[in-house]
Amino acid sequence: MNYDLNKTQTILKEEAHRFLAKECPSDFVREMADDETGYSKKLWQKMAELDWMGVLIPEQYGGMGGNFLDLTVLLSEMGYHCMPGPYFCSVVLGGLTILEAGSDKQKADILPLLARGKRILTLAWVEPEGTYVPEGIKLSAKLHEGQYILSGTKLFVPYAHVADTLICVARTGKEKQGKNTGLTLFVVDPKQKGVRIEPLITMAGDKQSEVAFENVAVSSDSVLGSPDQGWSVLKKVLQMAAVAKCGEMIGGARRAMDMAIPYVKGREQFGRPVAAFQAVQHHCANMLTYADTIKLMTYQAAWRISEGLPFEKEASMCKAWGSDSYRQLVALAHQVIGGMGFMEEYDLQLYFKHAKSAEQTLGDADFHREWVACEMGM
Amino acid sequence: MDFEFSAQEQKVLKQVRAFIKSEVTPELQAESLAIGYCYGGKLGREFVRKFAANGWLVPNWPEEYGGLGASAMLTFAIKEELAYIMPLIFVAAHMAGPTIMHFGSDEMKKQWLLPIARGEVEFALGYTEPWAGSDLSALQIEAVDQGDHFVLNGQKTFNTHTHVADYHWLAAITDPDAKRYKNMSMMIVDLKTPGITIRPLITMAGWQTNEVFYDNVVVSKENLVGEMNQGFYYLMAALDYERMFPLGSYRRLFEEIVQYAKETVVGGRPLSKDPLVRQKLAQLAIELEANKLIFFRLAHIIDEGKIPNYETSMQKLFATELAQKIANTGMEILGLYSQLKKESKWAALSGQVEHRYRWSVVETIYAGTSEIQRNIMALRGLKLPSK
Repeated sequence: MNYDLNKTQTILKEEAHRFLAKECPSDFVREMADDETGYSKKLWQKMAELDWMGVLIPEQYGGMGGNFLDLTVLLSEMGYHCMPGPYFCSVVLGGLTILEAGSDKQKADILPLLARGKRILTLAWVEPEGTYVPEGIKLSAKLHEGQYILSGTKLFVPYAHVADTLICVARTGKEKQGKNTGLTLFVVDPKQKGVRIEPLITMAGDKQSEVAFENVAVSSDSVLGSPDQGWSVLKKVLQMAAVAKCGEMIGGARRAMDMAIPYVKGREQFGRPVAAFQAVQHHCANMLTYADTIKLMTYQAAWRISEGLPFEKEASMCKAWGSDSYRQLVALAHQVIGGMGFMEEYDLQLYFKHAKSAEQTLGDADFHREWVACEMGM
Repeated sequence: MDFEFSAQEQKVLKQVRAFIKSEVTPELQAESLAIGYCYGGKLGREFVRKFAANGWLVPNWPEEYGGLGASAMLTFAIKEELAYIMPLIFVAAHMAGPTIMHFGSDEMKKQWLLPIARGEVEFALGYTEPWAGSDLSALQIEAVDQGDHFVLNGQKTFNTHTHVADYHWLAAITDPDAKRYKNMSMMIVDLKTPGITIRPLITMAGWQTNEVFYDNVVVSKENLVGEMNQGFYYLMAALDYERMFPLGSYRRLFEEIVQYAKETVVGGRPLSKDPLVRQKLAQLAIELEANKLIFFRLAHIIDEGKIPNYETSMQKLFATELAQKIANTGMEILGLYSQLKKESKWAALSGQVEHRYRWSVVETIYAGTSEIQRNIMALRGLKLPSK
């Protein structure tokens, strides 16, 4: 076993840290929460120039040809700086889905533009039932004269309002008992007739939308992967993306500690630093355990994905553990920082919100514990 | 990064597993269980000598001291394998030995390390006293310097191995006038020395620990570990080794509980189909995975030539709290059956769970309580001030 990042990853991490410290201060994070688009085109282009959009994309499609662990390392720095914008939905959700299911032509059409930051993708998955499980997918795609007609409503679609391409999960067949069939993925242009996008207003200020499909006709060329076999792609994408989300948590957890520890050392009450009180020390020790275990669980799962090893169980373990632990860590940071941390101007609140949002995205702890239980043969 | 064992490590682990499978008999299990997995019973000693003959007791020691010159990673992995079947505790090999290796004189290393590595001698920890539990700097037992030997008077308590071990790994005050932390020494005392009285204390796990009384006990200065009055630091080092906690035996119990849940039908369906049961067992599996990662992290740090800092306390804390959760969850899943002891009609899982539930109480107490571990993590790991 070896717990160390390699040299390239260490450099990537340090460079990303420096870059985001300069380009993504907390004022910018607040500004983007109020901004209608929710991201800065200028920063987006700079990130594309650094090859961040192409981390996972093979060199033949103009990407960096990196592995999943590289991506996780980069996301941890984005999490540290609470970076707003469509990076996650475009590069992780969109990119992974295209890489998993795209035909050569679809890859050649989409990936080079994605890698250059010229095309923003997103994945339209969840519906009003609010669940990631296949039974929750009702949006219908019916074949009519060689075209598919999409009808239904997607919710919680990240950055759909700025996306150039939607990947829409639709029901094309019946769910056969326990077989998870009948789902098909479609590449849809959001400007197409019948697509209506309405923003939702979120706690963490990240941008999500309702996307209604009113008899949207798409050609059979826009099918991504095999018809009716979408779930196996989605499941894998969800598990990988859940690990990537935990990558953000690694950084967010570290940032919350970087706020809390100096604060308790400096804040004096009863004539001594509050850090000298055992009750506070024990909270801080628990934060340290959460921070270290989130990191190790995530790196292990990301490493397994990178190495092409089975990762399903580790991925769900990682998301379940990360979801609970990151939230609890930030809550402890709030507890030891006290009233100051409750102030809007204090940055900890950004992480409090991010922790809950990251927890709920791509399956919370209960959801993933259930998947772990399945992996355990229960 | 790499989160799997190397091919070479896997090869050795396969051999270890096969050895354990063929050598651990029901009689040996029964003897070990009866003495609380202290190593010192007749069958246990036979088993350990055979086990140690492969170099597996101390794989990461240099060959001249009976090891294999192998990695700490392999050493930790072997500990975990053995604990999975039989959680034997080795005071000499895994706590005192590494401390002697670091701080002992060449003579002491020559005298003790080989017999320890071969599994020929076992030590018992001699730290706790009635007025010195978490605060080991408050020891009272005194070793008076008489030229070439010490004369010891005082009392120890909760010294668990002493009735089966050969030697006492003893912390005693050698300079009562000196400041805290500078007043004690470590020494090795033959437990058969005249003047030592061992009195049993029986725990709620049904096991024997002991009070040990020293009445004018003569100990040669040759048995002093390292330097006089530096004992507190050696003790802290030895405690860190003790805290690297293989959770194998609880992992095995957990697997048996999962199996029980799969096989036990209640209300027309297996317990394992109950969403609450699934959530609880999955959560334990997740925490076992996290523990695995922080356990082998310790080996990784040691193999990099560094000394683990707060990481040891984190693992001890995490593992022992998890141990209690596993035992308690087992009780919840077995329900009313969980109360039945192994001798009872209708006992489930051979009464293991109720025993483990009683036993696990001490896990978060010995080798430094959870509170002490959190203190260490805060002070050493996060550099928080102590006042």
